[in-house]
Amino acid sequence: MSALHVLFRVGDAEYAIAADEVLQMESYEGATPVPNAAAHVAGIVQVRGRVVPVVDLRVRFGAPMRERTIDTRVVVAQRGERAVALLVDSAREVARLAPEQLKPPPPMVAAQSAGLVRAIAQIAGRMVMLIDLDRVVGEERLDGE
Amino acid sequence: MSRVDLREFLDAYLDEVDEHLANANTQLLALDAALRAGEPTLRAVRELFRALHTIKGLSAMVGVDPIVAIAHRMEASLRAADRAGGQLPEGAIDVMLQAVAAIEQRVRALASGHPVPAPPGPLLAALDTLDEVRTPAPVARTTSGLALDPAVNAKIAAFERDALERGIASGRRALCVRFAPSPERAAAGTNINTVRERLGVVSEIVKVVPVSAPRSAEAPAALTFALLVLTRASDEDVAREVGVDVGSIDVVGEPGTSAPAPEPAVVPVPELHDEERDDVQRRGVVRVDVARLDEALERLAQLVISRGVLAREIAVLASRGTDVRGLQIVLREQSRQLRDMRAAVLQLRMVPASEVLERVPLVVRGLRKATGKAVRLEVDAGRTELDKAVAERLFPALVHLVRNAVDHAIEAPDERRRAGKPEEGLLRVTFETRGTGQVALVVQDDGRGIDAARVAARAGVEVPTTDAALLQLLCRPGLSTRDQVSTTSGRGIGMDVVRRIVVEELGGDLSMTTTPGRGTTIVARVPLTLSIVDVLTFECGSQRFVVPMASIDEIIEIDPTQVSAPPRTGAGSTIALIQRRGEAVPLVRLDRTLGLASADPERPKALVVRRDGDAIAFAIDRTLGQQEVVVRPLEDPLLRVPGVTGATDLGDGRPTLVVDLVALSRISGETSEVRT
Repeated sequence: MSALHVLFRVGDAEYAIAADEVLQMESYEGATPVPNAAAHVAGIVQVRGRVVPVVDLRVRFGAPMRERTIDTRVVVAQRGERAVALLVDSAREVARLAPEQLKPPPPMVAAQSAGLVRAIAQIAGRMVMLIDLDRVVGEERLDGE
Repeated sequence: MSRVDLREFLDAYLDEVDEHLANANTQLLALDAALRAGEPTLRAVRELFRALHTIKGLSAMVGVDPIVAIAHRMEASLRAADRAGGQLPEGAIDVMLQAVAAIEQRVRALASGHPVPAPPGPLLAALDTLDEVRTPAPVARTTSGLALDPAVNAKIAAFERDALERGIASGRRALCVRFAPSPERAAAGTNINTVRERLGVVSEIVKVVPVSAPRSAEAPAALTFALLVLTRASDEDVAREVGVDVGSIDVVGEPGTSAPAPEPAVVPVPELHDEERDDVQRRGVVRVDVARLDEALERLAQLVISRGVLAREIAVLASRGTDVRGLQIVLREQSRQLRDMRAAVLQLRMVPASEVLERVPLVVRGLRKATGKAVRLEVDAGRTELDKAVAERLFPALVHLVRNAVDHAIEAPDERRRAGKPEEGLLRVTFETRGTGQVALVVQDDGRGIDAARVAARAGVEVPTTDAALLQLLCRPGLSTRDQVSTTSGRGIGMDVVRRIVVEELGGDLSMTTTPGRGTTIVARVPLTLSIVDVLTFECGSQRFVVPMASIDEIIEIDPTQVSAPPRTGAGSTIALIQRRGEAVPLVRLDRTLGLASADPERPKALVVRRDGDAIAFAIDRTLGQQEVVVRPLEDPLLRVPGVTGATDLGDGRPTLVVDLVALSRISGETSEVRT
């Protein structure tokens, strides 16, 4: 059973998220900053009448900062009741991934990315990392308080 | 009946049964109080009977036999109690409460799709024995001789006569109130149902007897109702309340002057309408899922936002020289309509605060048993109403406060005796409307008060000198004031939970006064409704924010020559000092507190708020105006930051943050350096 996935880029790398976890995609027109929130929270935006946090995946994934472009997208992900917008460099493709295409990340990578990457898939010679949404948007304590 | 069939009706069934169960508990407690006061009441027995009868009927419809069995036996016992004039055997209330709990348990099982367990045998057996009700203690009938009209006398049963006599014996007066319906009275809105309703407030209705009479000016319908009631009110009060002449009231019996009137019932119970007969019209009530009300409110919120956009567009037109007077009239009219509409929708969501208090007697009863303490509970919600959502969120905080009071504050009877206090502790739980848009929950006990030194020792800090500081200490997460874990309150006293609910979730505030040996009063003030708030819009560090008007004490201009900088130890310290009407007020730079780039405006303003009575000024760049906005809570865990309570849309499609300056003053005061 292959499942649809949305592919997106952050920095030099390509990532995937299961399509059924995606509520919608939008272009990015800025977010309202929230003082004292975690560094990777770019702010809040309104999505379908709800206020949701925007997680800047560049910051979350430790990629270098770069100017936003017209390709910058907000991927609104949904987990149960919760909706979180993921700020990515671009999101253009949708791909079908079969379970056997998904391989666990090498242990050293898994250790470094602290579980943010759930699996790695090869699509036509390209390497795509399947993110673990729960970890990515997981509740973060401010400054280890 | 198969599960598939059942599912269809299940939600409606669960809803309705819940309501009747809640009512059953209320009536049991009322009955308990009445029995303890020696004033058996038929009203509660009958109300209880009706609730169980309905539960039985509904349960039979969806085929849950275990519930039918329990309800059926309770009904039988209650029928016997009714025959006995409201008397119940010793311990009956406990058995009945257990039975209601057993029904609740089975309803829960049904709701979560688990098999419904069979009714517990011992419970059924205990219920069965309640049938064999002893005849009530004989009333000295020889002395009685109720002054009853023969036509009325012929129509009342022996147990009703007993009820009247027992009422008189317990210090109430038995009255016969005559009411003759007439077209004029009906036109004025007075009929037998309204009379019953009003009379039910000032008295206990024992019986209503219709008496036919020759047609006359007095009784144009050739019919008079004789209402037999027991009351402590005077004839004049009863007459006024019901809207009849004093002449329509006959005294049927009065307590002897030698018999002192006993104390009134210890637990004031909500007044109930006497609805024993089917001729009482039910008021038109619609049951609505709260989600639907939320949806209506959400739609309205969008309307409020689009009105803001419209107003802006009109202002743009006006600035280009277009004549917009017509548009402005429409806009004003629309504002008014929106306000009315909003009031109407919010009204739909209001529930009586008494509903929140309904379950408190049950909680206290359980605590009495668990702790062995004697506690008298007084509840009073008056006519206070609050938003359903607020009521639901507030309830767990209320339970915490009540538990603390009984478990920690009120002493054991012997300790109270030694302290020269009545053995029975007093716990008062009340709701009051405070000004506009706020409601105060007050939980007051006459217990030992809070020992500040002990709390401080446990927390390892200096002894707080004010009640406010002590409260703050008590609200620290995980603080325990007890050496031993108690079964009811656990180790912590849960004040951190209370604070979180009242302050963070509901945007209210919490205050406390405590006197050693005398007692503690805790007041939680919360907004009546969530959602639409009157706010001030302002700019700070080139970002726009809003702050609820209600939280602002004053808006002042800062004279830079009046600002002095106190010595600072931290590099990023943000606090200066200004003078305001002879008071030294800390001045906090909001831009720095919020980690924003400073704009250094020429004529900065400051918003003054009060924290525990002390003024704190926040320097901002400029104020933009005042308006009503829809506040959306920030529920995501990533957005749980101190000082930000929600977001609102000012009409530009982007969220604007709603800040809580009092909460921000805490972080400014506690950290010398502010994160950027």
